[in-house]
Amino acid sequence: MSIIFVLIPLAVIIVALAIGIFFWAVKNNQFEDLDRQGYSILYDDDVDEKHKHRPIDDDNHQ
Amino acid sequence: MSISIAEGHCYHCGLPNLEGDKFPVVINGVEHHMCCPGCHAVSSAIIANGLENYYEFRTEPAARGDSALDNTMAKLAVYDEPELQEEFVIFDGSEKQIQLTVEGITCAACGWLIEKQLAKLEGVRQISVNVSARRAMLTWDESKINLSSILQRLKHIGYESLPFQPDEHEASYKREEKSFIKKLGLAGLMTMQVMMLAMGQYFDVFGNIDNEIAGYFNAISLLLTTPVVLFSGSVFYISALKAIQARTVNMDVPVTIAIFATYIAGVLAVNKDAGEVYFESICMFVFFLLIGRYLEHRSRHKATEISSNMLKLIPATALKWKDNEWVSVLAKQLATNERVLVKAGESVPIDGNVVAGTTAINESMLTGEFEPVTKGVGDHVYAGTLNKQSSIEIEVTNSLKFAMMNQILRLQEVAISHKPKAAVMADNFSRYFVSAVLVISACTYLFWSINGNEEAFWITISVLVATCPCALGLATPSALTCAMAKLNKLGVLLKRADALEQINKATDIVFDKTGTLTQGEFSIQKVEYFQSESDSLDKASIDALAYALEQRSEHPIAKAFTPPIELKETNVNINVESFKIVIGKGLIATVDGLDCVIGSRKFVHSQINVEQEETQRDNGNVLFAVDGKVVSEYWITDTVQPDAPELIRKLDDFTLSILSGDDIGNVKKIANALSIDNFYGNKTPDGKLHHIQQQQAEGKSLIMLGDGINDAPVLAASDISIAVGNASDLAKNAADVVLLNPKLNAVIELIEVAQQTKTKIRQNIGWAISYNLLVLPFAMIGWLTPWQAALGMSLSSVIVVYNSTRLMR
Repeated sequence: MSIIFVLIPLAVIIVALAIGIFFWAVKNNQFEDLDRQGYSILYDDDVDEKHKHRPIDDDNHQ
Repeated sequence: MSISIAEGHCYHCGLPNLEGDKFPVVINGVEHHMCCPGCHAVSSAIIANGLENYYEFRTEPAARGDSALDNTMAKLAVYDEPELQEEFVIFDGSEKQIQLTVEGITCAACGWLIEKQLAKLEGVRQISVNVSARRAMLTWDESKINLSSILQRLKHIGYESLPFQPDEHEASYKREEKSFIKKLGLAGLMTMQVMMLAMGQYFDVFGNIDNEIAGYFNAISLLLTTPVVLFSGSVFYISALKAIQARTVNMDVPVTIAIFATYIAGVLAVNKDAGEVYFESICMFVFFLLIGRYLEHRSRHKATEISSNMLKLIPATALKWKDNEWVSVLAKQLATNERVLVKAGESVPIDGNVVAGTTAINESMLTGEFEPVTKGVGDHVYAGTLNKQSSIEIEVTNSLKFAMMNQILRLQEVAISHKPKAAVMADNFSRYFVSAVLVISACTYLFWSINGNEEAFWITISVLVATCPCALGLATPSALTCAMAKLNKLGVLLKRADALEQINKATDIVFDKTGTLTQGEFSIQKVEYFQSESDSLDKASIDALAYALEQRSEHPIAKAFTPPIELKETNVNINVESFKIVIGKGLIATVDGLDCVIGSRKFVHSQINVEQEETQRDNGNVLFAVDGKVVSEYWITDTVQPDAPELIRKLDDFTLSILSGDDIGNVKKIANALSIDNFYGNKTPDGKLHHIQQQQAEGKSLIMLGDGINDAPVLAASDISIAVGNASDLAKNAADVVLLNPKLNAVIELIEVAQQTKTKIRQNIGWAISYNLLVLPFAMIGWLTPWQAALGMSLSSVIVVYNSTRLMR
């Protein structure tokens, strides 16, 4: 049982670390927009080869 | 994940497509059809930039594209002016930074689309979009690109974005929100740790725990609980302290006593190595109470965020006569007696008197009515109104600060301060409740200590914890938060969460006419032709002639005349000569040698020298005469919104009325068409306000629906105000509820959700109170230990929150 004298303080240190990271995240606006970032990972930036970008010319048709 | 758009609906915005295959766009190899040139242009721009994935990612259809794209482009250039940028741009030497509100964001994919699109522009350093707040933070390099071209690019893909300044309250709300998240997170993490240690002891999972290890566990628990008590719980102590200073009690008083008593007893127990500790109960208690507070704060924060998005900066520019030329200046820099040129199609930048030229001015933003008013030399024109016809020169009479527009704004502010407040019944109730709890706890402690029970202290703590009105505190905010989320999905924005409670109390609904019940566009309701055998003109030719004339007019009524279908088959060759507009009256022209006059009844009669005949019948408002003879008569009225009749039918529980600035005759027509019994016409913004206040004085509770700037003061004064889709920003700003879609049916959904919310709140409060009353006897006779009390309280809270989330389905 004496192992808990090492493990529990270790757990406390890890929790302290987690809280530190959490406070940092709050401070850096990581919780600003909960609707959006969850989807980011699903958005694939690459468009298929067959409809690759055409040159952008929308400055001409204004 | 992508949504499916039903057949016959616009692929871009999801609204019904009435144009068939007129606006096709090929997306990912499949041809889709759009409903209007606006959606077509936006969708094409998205595809041209290689962002077709947007259509795969989105979870909501886009906002409808704006067809008047080019018109707004020129106006954006104003935002490049350095004087203007001083107000809202942060400049750090090399880069400029700005906050934008973005209209048209419907789901997370919109954020992706905007960021992808702007990141490609050279000179844009950083762009981050906040979807829930509908805002973006933009950093750009002024030497490479200017602000207006960035805004222009956004407009191209269908998002209207404008600089704005956040509300003053908002900054403090934001700080509080962050501190809430920190407190909540800390309490949550610590609760898990302490609970783990405590469960080990309660359920003996380690086998027999000897005293040394139990003491060690308690010491660690104390260490972990201390930040929760000192930091996370501070919200309650501060609030309790404030209440006591004000010589009253609130829910936080027993909470504070329970937390501190348990904590101090725990500290003593750890030091003496004897006695019981309930650290896990403290943590859990604080954690659950904080969730309630956080939800409440969030719904209020969300509401301020939405209302501050309405505070857009739309600066007006003006052409000032200076050193023998017209120079462009900001309207707010104009002083009295300066001369300003207002071109046709521009809005009047400032109040003034006309000194040269004659024109027709659309004053709908002030009066709510779309028929233009004729203004000649010496007439007064107002800032914000629209010059429809020809250039005029005006002499400034009031600086912008005192302009008519701002007077309406001031009227609105005054009205807001007189707004009836929602009753604070819950607060009163909780004061009695809390006093009762404190008395009962004190009695319990006295009774058990007199009877020599060693557990007296812990029994008292159990009573305090068991009766903690935590679930009661969660009952209302959790239901309101869920209702707001649901309404948001339905396209209804609530700016005040407590608006929902007031909707249920409403007895009357008051509608504005133009733009709310009607579309603000004229159409021909009925035509009557006067023909004799000898006439060479058939009906189709008359239509063709009338159209040919009206086509040349800018008057809104002229738009009611649509091109005849068989234009080519008629026997008139349309060749318009000597065309003349008589402003505010009608048109005269010679078409193929035929003298044509079209216009108001009085005007046409005077032109063809016919005495005005007195008839009882309902006359049409436009006459058309050819060669001195009236050939047709038109009844032209504003078109009723297609879903207005259905809305009126479903709202038969309320007393309905129309309040309009338009002529009483026109109001009566619409009222009859929709079978609304009460109608009032010829009302100025001030008159409308008086009317509303009079009704309120009679004890009625009003819901007001409006759209125009002239409605802003009434919207601010009525108990609940709803700004319909397409409403002016000022009206949106004054309203409690903003409909995002141009569909009136959302009002019915709003009322339904309000009723559901009321039932939910009642259920929640009922459950919370009966739970508290039920456990109280058990706690008093000492059957309940503090940890059981805390667990029960938490369960009760979870049930309340779960019940509220059912609103979202």
